[in-house]
Amino acid sequence: MSELKDRESIKTLQARQVGNAHTERRFDVPVVVDLEKCITKCRICIDSCPVDCLAVNPETGKAHMKFDECWYCLACEIDCPKDAITVKIPFLLR
Amino acid sequence: MDDTTLEADIVVVGGGSAGSTAAIRAQQSLPRGRVILLEKAHIKRSGAIAIGMDGLNNAIIPGHATAEQYVKEITMANDGIVNQRAVWEYAINSYSMIEELDRWGVKFQKTAAGDFDVKKVHHKGSYVLPMPEGYDLKKILMRVLKRAGVQIINRVMATRLLKDGDRIAGVLGFDTRTGQYTVIKAKAVILCCGASGRLGLPASGYLYGTYENPANAGDGYSLAYQAGAELTGIECFQINPLIKDYNGPACAYVTGPLGGHTVNARGNRFIESDYWSGHMMMEFYRELHSENGPVYLKLDHLAPETLTEIERVLHKTERPSRGRFHQGRGKGYASDLVEMHISEIGLCSGHSGSGVWVNERGETTVPGLYAAGDMACVPHNYLLGALTYGKLCAQHALDYIGGFDTQELHSEQQDQIAKERERVFAPLSRPDGIPHHQFEYKVRRLVNDYLQPPKSANRLRAGLEYFDRATHELEEVGASGPHDLMRVMESHFIRDCAEMAARASLYRTESRWGLYHYRQDFPKMDDENWFVHVNLKRDEHGQMQLFKREIDPYVVPLDESELRGYHHLRIPAAEADAAQ
Repeated sequence: MSELKDRESIKTLQARQVGNAHTERRFDVPVVVDLEKCITKCRICIDSCPVDCLAVNPETGKAHMKFDECWYCLACEIDCPKDAITVKIPFLLR
Repeated sequence: MDDTTLEADIVVVGGGSAGSTAAIRAQQSLPRGRVILLEKAHIKRSGAIAIGMDGLNNAIIPGHATAEQYVKEITMANDGIVNQRAVWEYAINSYSMIEELDRWGVKFQKTAAGDFDVKKVHHKGSYVLPMPEGYDLKKILMRVLKRAGVQIINRVMATRLLKDGDRIAGVLGFDTRTGQYTVIKAKAVILCCGASGRLGLPASGYLYGTYENPANAGDGYSLAYQAGAELTGIECFQINPLIKDYNGPACAYVTGPLGGHTVNARGNRFIESDYWSGHMMMEFYRELHSENGPVYLKLDHLAPETLTEIERVLHKTERPSRGRFHQGRGKGYASDLVEMHISEIGLCSGHSGSGVWVNERGETTVPGLYAAGDMACVPHNYLLGALTYGKLCAQHALDYIGGFDTQELHSEQQDQIAKERERVFAPLSRPDGIPHHQFEYKVRRLVNDYLQPPKSANRLRAGLEYFDRATHELEEVGASGPHDLMRVMESHFIRDCAEMAARASLYRTESRWGLYHYRQDFPKMDDENWFVHVNLKRDEHGQMQLFKREIDPYVVPLDESELRGYHHLRIPAAEADAAQ
């Protein structure tokens, strides 16, 4: 037991000193963009977002919700000239 | 990357309602002057009213209400702790603001005779003016801003104010898209940064499910505090009755005049007035946690045409996604009661009385620094108060800057600029640091644990201990780009606001404003010792200092019974119920 106790005190110290590790996690997000309707290079919804959570997806050239920070205020959906956006209530609140 | 360095006569920080009228007024009066409007988002959809408001909650329309009546009502609603001269100034200037909005094309509800169609929601007087097409408001403000020739800078976030000795000398910040550091030298700064709305954590645990626009993270509270300005009434929290799990109000202002009201689980009314005050919230809280809870909004007795009218307004303005929320739960106004709950805590003078100290000219205690809107303490000021005070601030800032030329930046300012650059960009040097959302979740969860009423000294102290530790934890938070950096800087604001909220709540050893400052260890209101403002500021050693500030003699006197006018909101029958 005394060996384990020493080990614990060493690990306690190490736990305060080691760097950070991280992992990736998938989130269901409220803003869904219809890629057929969305216009490449149009940035209207991206400008509308009060929390700046939308961006152009470099893979598709279309808008997408890049950051999980949506206030579901509908600014992007209302301002989109092509009706390409549907905002869902975030799953945690649905 | 080189800094962006700009010069202006007046910088307005925040392009919501208050910031828009401030910048418009300043530029109109200085046709050749330089007015910069700095906005963290984009002015077309920024501020508390991204999607517009359904009405003005505090309109003082001749023939319906008087300035005297209004000042009395707000004094009552705020248990006497008001700078009445500031409320009075709003009261006498707000009608001309309505007329100006009317000329700009804002559509207010009018009667067949063409008069403003005012409704009664407050406990005593009639002040609610519906604005059924309020979703146009922000567009209209943007049009007027552009016509006035204001220089608008979107997506730049202010992080600190530049000082020259005691007075304000400019704004420091960065572009949240490019990361460009921005220095704006100015003769005067008007802060219009909105509420501290990302303080408490919504019960859902969803960080951005706040009542306030989450972009309003308390930026202005922290900017003013760090610049040495006084803040006041921070212990008078904002807590609102909302739809359960949805961040929209129920909403008394819209449904009340059409016959909607709050009931308990037994279907009985228990409060006389649905107007939001601390005392109303206290009764709401008591009912919610009694065996008569939950609490509901009752609309199912209304005629189908009335419900259509309610939906037409509620599903298009302010929080327009509420329709799909109800539908997702399989609920409708005609067939179901709408379950309600109370919001997370926040700081906001627009709804309660917590903000940066300002006088009737919108001046803070720092020369050259003005504040308007939700962040400036003119209690219960709401949207029309923001619009009116934005304009007032601009008028007085113009008088102030008339006196001097822009100063050169001395080495003292160069030091401030360099120090802030280092502070702001530090998180980029640790991209593998703690993610901002984890830090934020933790600090806001602890705000709920320790600051949410009912309050007690022991819990508040425990909270303070953590908020102090959080200062060091912030040094571990990392960012991988300018967007993340914005969130990290907001985390700093949130932590500052949490500390202010804890210290101010601890300092006022009495209960006041119903639920907003309900201390279990001091449950009674104590006028003998606490009929004062509680103010706080950063002293020369960087410590948070709390002190009492006398209440100036009233402009509109109230007798003792009037002062307690908001203390009896519980319906007598419900009083008997609650006592059983």
